[in-house]
Amino acid sequence: MTYEIEMIGIRKEFPGVVANDNIDFAVRKGEIHALVGENGAGKSTLMNVLFGLYQPDAGTIKIRGEEVKFNNNLDSIAKGIGMVHQSFKLVPSFTVAENITLGHEPSKLGFVDKDAVRENVIKISKRFGLKVDPDSRIRDMPVGIQQRVEILKALYLLSDILILDEPTGVLTPQETDELFEVVRSLVATGITVIFITHKFREVMAISDRVTVLRDGKWIGTKDTKDTNPKELARMMVGREVLLRIDKTEANPKEQVLTVENLKVLDNRLQEAVRDVSLSVKAGEILGIAGVEGNGQRELVEGIIGLRTAVAGDIRINGKSITKMSVRQRRDYGISCVPEDRYVRGVALRASLEDNLIIENYDKAPISKGQVLNLKKIAQHASRLISEFDIRTPSSKVIASTLSGGNLQKVVLAREIDARPKLLIVAQPTRGLDVGSIEFVHRRILEARDRGAAVLLVSAELEEVMSLSDRIAVLYEGNIVGTVKGGEATEEELGLMMAGITDEGEDQRDSHSVEQQVSQEV
Amino acid sequence: MDTSVLVDILQRYVFNVANLQGMLRLSTPVILAGLCALITARAGILNIAGEGMILFGAWFAVAGSYYTQNSYVGLAVAILSGLVVGGLFALFSLKFGANIIVMGIAINIFAVSATIFMTRIVFGVAGSFMHPNIQGFSPIHIPLIKDIPILGGILSGYTFPVYLTWLLVLLTTIFLYRTPWGIHLRAVGESPEAARTQGINVERVRFLSVMASGVFASLAGSYLSLGHMVGFFDQMSAGRGFIGMAVNTFGGGEPVGVFLSSLLFGLTDTIGFRLQGERIIPIYFISMLPYFVTLIALTYFTIRKAQVAKAVFKKKAAQAEAER
Ligand SMILES: Nc1ncnc2c1ncn2[C@@H]1O[C@H](COP(=O)(O)OP(=O)(O)OP(=O)(O)O)[C@@H](O)[C@H]1O
Ligand SMILES: [Mg+2]
Repeated sequence: MTYEIEMIGIRKEFPGVVANDNIDFAVRKGEIHALVGENGAGKSTLMNVLFGLYQPDAGTIKIRGEEVKFNNNLDSIAKGIGMVHQSFKLVPSFTVAENITLGHEPSKLGFVDKDAVRENVIKISKRFGLKVDPDSRIRDMPVGIQQRVEILKALYLLSDILILDEPTGVLTPQETDELFEVVRSLVATGITVIFITHKFREVMAISDRVTVLRDGKWIGTKDTKDTNPKELARMMVGREVLLRIDKTEANPKEQVLTVENLKVLDNRLQEAVRDVSLSVKAGEILGIAGVEGNGQRELVEGIIGLRTAVAGDIRINGKSITKMSVRQRRDYGISCVPEDRYVRGVALRASLEDNLIIENYDKAPISKGQVLNLKKIAQHASRLISEFDIRTPSSKVIASTLSGGNLQKVVLAREIDARPKLLIVAQPTRGLDVGSIEFVHRRILEARDRGAAVLLVSAELEEVMSLSDRIAVLYEGNIVGTVKGGEATEEELGLMMAGITDEGEDQRDSHSVEQQVSQEV
Repeated sequence: MDTSVLVDILQRYVFNVANLQGMLRLSTPVILAGLCALITARAGILNIAGEGMILFGAWFAVAGSYYTQNSYVGLAVAILSGLVVGGLFALFSLKFGANIIVMGIAINIFAVSATIFMTRIVFGVAGSFMHPNIQGFSPIHIPLIKDIPILGGILSGYTFPVYLTWLLVLLTTIFLYRTPWGIHLRAVGESPEAARTQGINVERVRFLSVMASGVFASLAGSYLSLGHMVGFFDQMSAGRGFIGMAVNTFGGGEPVGVFLSSLLFGLTDTIGFRLQGERIIPIYFISMLPYFVTLIALTYFTIRKAQVAKAVFKKKAAQAEAER
């Protein structure tokens, strides 16, 4: 039997790391093949080799039995390979439609046929059930929509082989379900799909077979029906992993964060946070649940000062910080892990060391007067690298060479290590492998027990429910309800996330509420 | 000083048909230099070699016109030189990985001495080269339009490169927003990774954009040496390559923006010429004027832009406050 894709003995080395070490990887035609492994295991690298963006140092690739050599991704696109990348590759100032058709614009007499661009995009968006507004600009879109655009971009080229590198990282559960429907319908038409994810739930739900990588090596390929999450976790990490962590009772103390009647605008100057009041005490975790795009991002940015509040007050330990600059707020004890780590979390072109001292470069012992202490910086970096298990060849490499999950750990390490009074974490485990999730959750709980007030924003209901002491649900810029962490049920939260509260005051007409509920619960 | 005197002065030195014509004429090389900066900036390249490329263009235009006694052949030779210089610049900085700033400085310095050297070797003169064989562009009077009162005087009677420049402003806009190539160029400039993964050849787009910038620069140069003046003078580009970068920034990277901000330069330049004749103000100050005014205006408008954005936000905030 010939495979659709065969990668034999693939080796890819980067300075200081062997990202792929003699990997054999074979995919059958028309299957959904999951590729799993820890952060930095070499999944994206292997796929970039297949997509022609990297040239392997050794090994051969066969497509439909025929040996191929890709000099760049034009060659692989020509062979019918499409890829959705882990980090978005979008042009911010372009519209959704322009991004999807980029490089393959329909044209008439040498001019871009703008109507056809829109129509084509609307057509494939309809066909695959991925809703997007073709005329919105990417820079105004929440990451969830950006992810959809990325997927549509790959689908637009009608590839025979579709590589999805962590496409569900930023999707809500129902968006993920929709995506699965799309993927299944694609496979039904004979397309082959490679699917990278860290969520076993997804591996079990969608894949036919699954391949595990660890430290750049092939560990095994299994039929999904013959395996289970526990076994996969063991193959990935090399040890037993706790898939759920135990949490001790919270011991809340004085009130740290008080937000009163906060109103914040989004990029288009629309009210994204309408009228939010909340408080977080030292030693407790307040979880913010909600479908993405309901003001979470603006709420976080309003509190840390990246957006000016147009109304309302924010206080830390009773002192108003509403008028303070970001720097002042940070010095006052706020740390933040932003949701968009590539843009706000790290300086991609700076070294790992520099990224780790952005928070405290001007304070002893990192600097003395105006002089940086390079030795201390290196020590600081290597301490955090080992404490947070960041996989990197050295602390001097530039941040963009790190794998997605490890980049996330860099941000977490820096922010948690600052020992803030208020720790804000937005989507803290997005893109992390099981082992790391366990680890990060423990770190967040440690910060809480040390006495930090923690504001956790997450689209993962499971994460919110397992970590939070209290849960507030954000819907269209308002908090529609607050429940105790231990007592919340998924149904109850799901209803609130759709804007339906106990008092029965529907925020929409009944028809659309029904729709919303059936989608979201 | 009563107002009538002021009005008189303004009319004499600033707002009259001759000045408007002067403005359009003198802004031409700046617009072209601006487009030269624009086409590379939009592809994500910081190209500071415009100055040198303009100088080469000016020299080759003169050489071409001198030997054939045809200004249009001069123009064609200049364009060719722009393609060659742009191509070499792209080859060294993009293909061979020479630092693009250093390369740009090198071209600018090299252009000055190379043109001086070539003037001496080829034409056997130093400093400047003027000769009756050099044909400058002659004015074109557009039928119908030239007979419209006032407007006819402002719109008609320019040389070919002036009209070409207006056309290029339009064409560049269409290119950037309506053609696949233009879209690719903007994508490469803003997000090269996105462009690359969509199968766009980023290196090729950049290469071509640098060559195109060479063409724009050489057009600017030939206007200087066959339109603005007739003949070649050492360092006659006189900083226009850099002003081009400024008007591009100021014009927001849009061709029409480049056009409008160049008019400002053209206007002050014209007024400077008028004042020179009057000998009221020291000549060095007057030659400085267009650059100075452009600089001040750029700064002012940039600050203004930020203020406007802030004002919009303040208004929203006030509304929110009023609502409660
Ligand atoms: N361009 C690069 N330059 C240098 N090193 C790189 C580069 N790309 C990846 N690496 C290194 O190669 C290793 C594998 O990275 P890769 O991105 O393939 O991991 P991954 O399995 O996709 O992880 P994640 O789940 O976190 O996305 C990592 O150690 C990473 O630091
Ligand atoms: Mg990856």
